[in-house]
Amino acid sequence: MEVFLPIAQVFVSPIEILLLSALVGVLSGLFGVGGGFLMTPFLIFLGVPPAYAVANEANNILATSVSGSTTHWLKNTLDYKMGFMIVIGGSIGTALGIYTFTYFKDIGKIDTVISLAYMYILAIIGTLMLVESLGEIDKAKKNVVERKKLHVHYWIHGLPLRMRFPKSKLYESVFTPIIIGLAVGFIAAIMGIGGAFILVPAMIYIIKMPTRLVPGTSLFVTIFVSVIVTFLHSFNYGSIDLMLVVMLVVGSIFGVQVGQKLGEKIDSSGLKALLAILLLVVGIAIAYDTFFAEEIQKEISKVAIADLNFFSKFILEFSKDMPFFYGLFSILFAVSLGIAAAFLRRFLSNFRKKYFIKSAK
Amino acid sequence: MHLSNIKILNKITNKKTTFIKTGIFSAIAACWGVILVGTFLTFN
Repeated sequence: MEVFLPIAQVFVSPIEILLLSALVGVLSGLFGVGGGFLMTPFLIFLGVPPAYAVANEANNILATSVSGSTTHWLKNTLDYKMGFMIVIGGSIGTALGIYTFTYFKDIGKIDTVISLAYMYILAIIGTLMLVESLGEIDKAKKNVVERKKLHVHYWIHGLPLRMRFPKSKLYESVFTPIIIGLAVGFIAAIMGIGGAFILVPAMIYIIKMPTRLVPGTSLFVTIFVSVIVTFLHSFNYGSIDLMLVVMLVVGSIFGVQVGQKLGEKIDSSGLKALLAILLLVVGIAIAYDTFFAEEIQKEISKVAIADLNFFSKFILEFSKDMPFFYGLFSILFAVSLGIAAAFLRRFLSNFRKKYFIKSAK
Repeated sequence: MHLSNIKILNKITNKKTTFIKTGIFSAIAACWGVILVGTFLTFN
């Protein structure tokens, strides 16, 4: 069974998309990294044009980060002040990223740029993760306890305009989070990812935030970055396809919850090497697709508007007639789905505690 | 178990670890080789 995406103009299998997004959701729930840098290449492999894959994955990330962030807000593990500082840099970075995206789209090279960016990022992260996890396994075998320095100072810590961040108990220059946000926003706009794989290590090792505040604050920043990316993509190129977004959001929200539950039960450090290998394999697959595969014209299907169903026709006309409100609607849609998922999870968790655990006692 | 047997077992384990590590690092090198050669050929 295949479904026609009215905006991306391709046929896709909803079961494949649901399964893949659920799988990526499980991985991101298990390892704490956003699934953007895996899901966008998967969408490209499924035949969605790269420019559409980037935009729709950004909208999906918005829903999952709203869901995760609401959970952290309920647990009070969020540093808003630090988050807003990173968002300031993120907004500038996103605008620069969209400007770069427009430049490459205009010269007709955007698909190659996206593929190249993914290939290199996946290869770099995969290599670093693999080397790190092998080192960890080695150290665990030999029982080596490494003594780390208490404070390591980089040039970024000498920047002026310092301010206090009471929740994180830090006295830091405002430029540190702004510069980090700038890099994250730029990459998010071009690649349609949340940027957690840069943000989380930067928050821990450069800003030196307490680890318990890092996931919530990172998700909080991702919300704003993905809102800007979604809106700009929708308004400039009309590339958000709500049909695709619904499938992605449903699969990934379900997968993330399963992944988080699994993460509480199993030690994921040994599995890190497997994730690293997966990233390298996806990187090689993109490399093969870009450099060596035969030039296969992706099937751009032309379906007459009269043949579309009511929902597809509504999406197509809404995006063409009112791009501004369509962008706004996509954002609100993703946000409300994310909040609903977070509250549903809390309700189910309370329900389980109240009835099942009580009855077990 | 005799001390010499333990030594042989340790040697085999060490060799196995070295073999696996060499395999992984060659795979990483091959991956980077494909990417860099592909980029070079495409831009040429």
